[in-house]
Amino acid sequence: MSSARQNQILLSAQLSVRYAGKQPVLRDVQLEIQRGEVLGLVGQSGSGKSTLAMAILGLLDKKRAQTEGTIRFQDSELLQLSEHELRALRGRAVALVLQSPLSALNPALKIRTQLREAWRAHAAGGTTECANAIRASLQSVSLPADDEFLRKYPSQMSVGQAQRVLIAMAVMHRPALLIADEATSALDVITQSEILALFRDLNRSTGMAILYISHDLASVAGICDRIAILHRGEIVECGTTEQIFAHPQHEYTQRLMAALPRILPANPQLQAKTEAAAAR
Amino acid sequence: MTRHEKRVGEMASAWGKAIAVTVICLVSLLKPAAAQGGGELRFCLRTEPKTFDPLKVEDDASAAVRYLTGGVLVRVNRQTQELEPELAQSWKTSKDGRQITFRLRSGILFSDGTNFSASDVAYTMQLLMDPALHSPTGDAFRSGAGNVETKVISPTQISITFSAPVAGLDRLFDQVAILSERSPKKEMAVLGPFMVADYKPGASLLLNRNPNYWKTDEQGRKLPYLDSIRLDIQPNRDVEMLRFKRGELDLINSLDSEYFDKLSATSPQQVHDAGPSLDSEQLWFNEVAKSPIPGYKKNWFRSANFRQAISEAINREDLSRIVFHGHAQPALGPFSPANKFWFNSKLRPQAYSPDAALKALQAEGFRMKNGALKDKDGNEVVFSIITNAGSKIRERMAVLIQDDLQKIGVHVNVVTLDFPSLIERMTQSYDYEAILLGLTNVDLDPNGEMNVWLSSSENHQWNPQQKAPETSWEAEIDRLMRAQASSSDAKKRKEAFDRVQEIAVEQEPFIFLINKNALSAVSKTVHGAAPVILWPQAFWNAERLTVATK
Amino acid sequence: MNSWQKLACAVLALVLGASLAANLLAPGGYAKQYREATNAPPSHAHWLGTDDVGRDRFARVLYGTRISLLLAPAAALLSTLMAALIGGLAGYLGGTWARMAMAVTDLFLSLPWLFLLITARALMPLNVSPQVSALVTFMLLGFLGWTAAARVLCTTAGSLRSSDFVRQARAAGLPGQRLFWVHVMPNLRPVLYAQFWISIPVFILSEANLGILGLGVAEPMPSWGSLLKELEGLVSVGEEPWKFVPLILLVVVVTSFQLLLSRQEGVAA
Ligand SMILES: Nc1ncnc2c1ncn2[C@@H]1O[C@H](COP(=O)(O)OP(=O)(O)O)[C@@H](O)[C@H]1O
Ligand SMILES: [Mg+2]
Repeated sequence: MSSARQNQILLSAQLSVRYAGKQPVLRDVQLEIQRGEVLGLVGQSGSGKSTLAMAILGLLDKKRAQTEGTIRFQDSELLQLSEHELRALRGRAVALVLQSPLSALNPALKIRTQLREAWRAHAAGGTTECANAIRASLQSVSLPADDEFLRKYPSQMSVGQAQRVLIAMAVMHRPALLIADEATSALDVITQSEILALFRDLNRSTGMAILYISHDLASVAGICDRIAILHRGEIVECGTTEQIFAHPQHEYTQRLMAALPRILPANPQLQAKTEAAAAR
Repeated sequence: MTRHEKRVGEMASAWGKAIAVTVICLVSLLKPAAAQGGGELRFCLRTEPKTFDPLKVEDDASAAVRYLTGGVLVRVNRQTQELEPELAQSWKTSKDGRQITFRLRSGILFSDGTNFSASDVAYTMQLLMDPALHSPTGDAFRSGAGNVETKVISPTQISITFSAPVAGLDRLFDQVAILSERSPKKEMAVLGPFMVADYKPGASLLLNRNPNYWKTDEQGRKLPYLDSIRLDIQPNRDVEMLRFKRGELDLINSLDSEYFDKLSATSPQQVHDAGPSLDSEQLWFNEVAKSPIPGYKKNWFRSANFRQAISEAINREDLSRIVFHGHAQPALGPFSPANKFWFNSKLRPQAYSPDAALKALQAEGFRMKNGALKDKDGNEVVFSIITNAGSKIRERMAVLIQDDLQKIGVHVNVVTLDFPSLIERMTQSYDYEAILLGLTNVDLDPNGEMNVWLSSSENHQWNPQQKAPETSWEAEIDRLMRAQASSSDAKKRKEAFDRVQEIAVEQEPFIFLINKNALSAVSKTVHGAAPVILWPQAFWNAERLTVATK
Repeated sequence: MNSWQKLACAVLALVLGASLAANLLAPGGYAKQYREATNAPPSHAHWLGTDDVGRDRFARVLYGTRISLLLAPAAALLSTLMAALIGGLAGYLGGTWARMAMAVTDLFLSLPWLFLLITARALMPLNVSPQVSALVTFMLLGFLGWTAAARVLCTTAGSLRSSDFVRQARAAGLPGQRLFWVHVMPNLRPVLYAQFWISIPVFILSEANLGILGLGVAEPMPSWGSLLKELEGLVSVGEEPWKFVPLILLVVVVTSFQLLLSRQEGVAA
């Protein structure tokens, strides 16, 4: 991580969200994402991670969810944008990858159609440009771009392939920020590590920032530059991966650490720290 | 259609002398006689009776109850069509047609045991003529403003005076069932052969014999023979038919020709065709000047030659043969030949001749081109005939007429509408071209049809409520109808109405198609049945029927 | 496709083919009245006898089949499209829209259907040709027959709206109407297919019912409804068995549709 990049703030948010008739889900959450960094957002399920992701994309139902605060992204204030302006941003500047590839892909549509729709949402080019863009994005996630593959329906693919398709769709327009909401949680261990590697590669090769959301502290360790811990709607701790693993400050983080399988992380020093934390 | 109340002119001479029959009644003052073993007669009412008050009767079902339970001063014999004495032994109408004097039988009791006397007649007439009651029966008597005057001369003699002459005054009393002035049971105290014993709304009505009924037969046996009559309320004709076949019903009135044929195939002795009835089926064109139909069509419809040509092109024999299976006669005019006195016997059947019809139309400037008739301005002759949905008979008639008229290049669209929309078009919006409907006529006297023939009337269907007659022939009909209504001379009345019938046949505002035969079915177990064409056909002589018990 | 379904297909093809060839098979036409031979039993001249006014029943069955078999699918298409648009769109938009659409649907379902049809027919101009009246009758059926399907579609579309793939597609920046047409609609297709196939026999029967009330296709044009009307008041089967041909045909065709429908559902599942 170069210091030049470190200073470039891509997104800075400070926001509260409450669903109609409920306690606030997010309470004055402060979050900064720098250009090109991978920020992990960890919290147990129900802590409000998805809500945060949706709030950034402006996808929360305005009638049912009340959002307050600021979300600065690049030069704009997202909460002030119209639906039209937000739509122009979604998929082009900020992309999203959801947890379960099988439900996040439309079962009734061919892969080609889904990719084409995603491309057309932000590009006016003709069929050749479209085909080229699809090919390029599929290649970037190491998937075949031939006709046979494009004609497939989601149900005719493996879960890993489907997740790659989703990622291909997300990176198609080279977004500055990719939000991966539990993008690997539904996958088996091997596929999970493959996809994680893919995220890391994409981050390195394209320089896009990733907000990597997971309930699983272990899975974020290998990929994230920094980690934020979300607990009951509040960011209780935020620091570099090393900091978090070495010196978990908050009691909740410490508990998360304790739950980790011991073989992780690879760093024995860290492991010792973790064990110490667990013993306490 | 509407029930026409009877209006009968004063015809003491024409209808034979109303013989002052002095039947010496052996009035039984003993306790009510036990059942006579005449059995129970069962048949269907097709609707719920709306009232048991004889003065308020409007519907057929209520009229049937009134006919069976009500005692009247005089009765039109449904077989001979002559007026006969009942509670009145004799009567006399004044020259000016305003006053009638009845001589009543004595010693007669209402069903509840109260005495019958002239004051009951006075009471009934005052009630009947009370404008607040809106009695349809009373309306028939109302020819002028002012109240009715009743004068009880003695317990057996009463004179009734109206403010203006009433045509056919005596016959109107056929519909007036006498109420008791004093009975606490009000209209449930009756003078007729039967009385209401039990009523289950929506299901059935039981009439028991009136033990106090005054009449006896020639052998001195008390009438009625029947112990009771069970009337089931059943609108469905198929069910009625089925139950008759199963022996659960004893008679069916106004039977469809189709049912008639089916029944007669299996048991010919159970069906009765009494010949042509007063009912007619007719077609008419919209002649209303302000109707929302195209002007050129109005011109056709308002032309007598056009109407005659259409009439001539309709094969009435086929209508009768195919639709009614022969149980109908081609209509000769507004009145059926079944109306013995009033029918104009000079009328001849309309010849069926498409060629002559086409020639007549061509003389009017119509031209035939590629099988389609066009008027002189080139408008194709197309019109719609509407009739009520669900009437098989009329639908078939319409289909035959459609086919007949196609032969002279006239294209007909047949439209079946639900009854309320049909009536709305016929009487409110006038948004129709031709209508095919029937007229149920229970009235022998032309006075009952006053509202149809007067050009100012609402029921002058082809062109109602005219401020002044729009044609000279309608003016003439108006004059003739008024003349016959105000005359008490039966011969003059007959002359006037004969002329009305002739004009109607010349001008054909109604194209009369057929007169249906009066068909009925009577079970073998019923004795004494002699169905007639006049309503109530098969049970007109209910008091003399017996049912053999199985 | 199992052998039953093959048979169903063959039956439908045969019936449709015969009805389309009516001009050749029954050159006399459906309106010609043989007035000297009314209510005749089957003979060489009239294979299925004649009706009350002497019209060849065989010709009327063929032409009636043509009407019912061509117009019922057209009405089914109309009602399916309406259900898709109203139910699907309301469900997809959700919230007030869905509530409004459901209220309208409830209203439609609670309306006295028959009364509505009768009124609608009564409001029609009087001078319409039988062909137009047939078309209008079926279109009215189609116009009124969308409600039940719309309910199903509304709920389905509502659940699709909050599905992951629609959220994913929104996150990809797809505009609303693309989401509806490209992502929601294709997922309603199985429901729409089912609706379409179920509607066909329903409309055939509805027209038959209207015909029995005298409100269906106008004279002299035949339809299965007007042909079935002949059975009214028939006391026993033995009397005139040939009159039952239209009924048997209706049952066979509706059954065939049902067999094909179960196949369609199999594909959709
Ligand atoms: N659409 C919604 N309406 C109401 N409450 C919601 C909605 N979505 C999520 N919630 C609630 O908000 C809280 C946070 O949910 P979520 O953001 O999905 O958590 P996570 O993604 O961390 O599991 C949960 O308690 C959940 O019940
Ligand atoms: Mg979540």
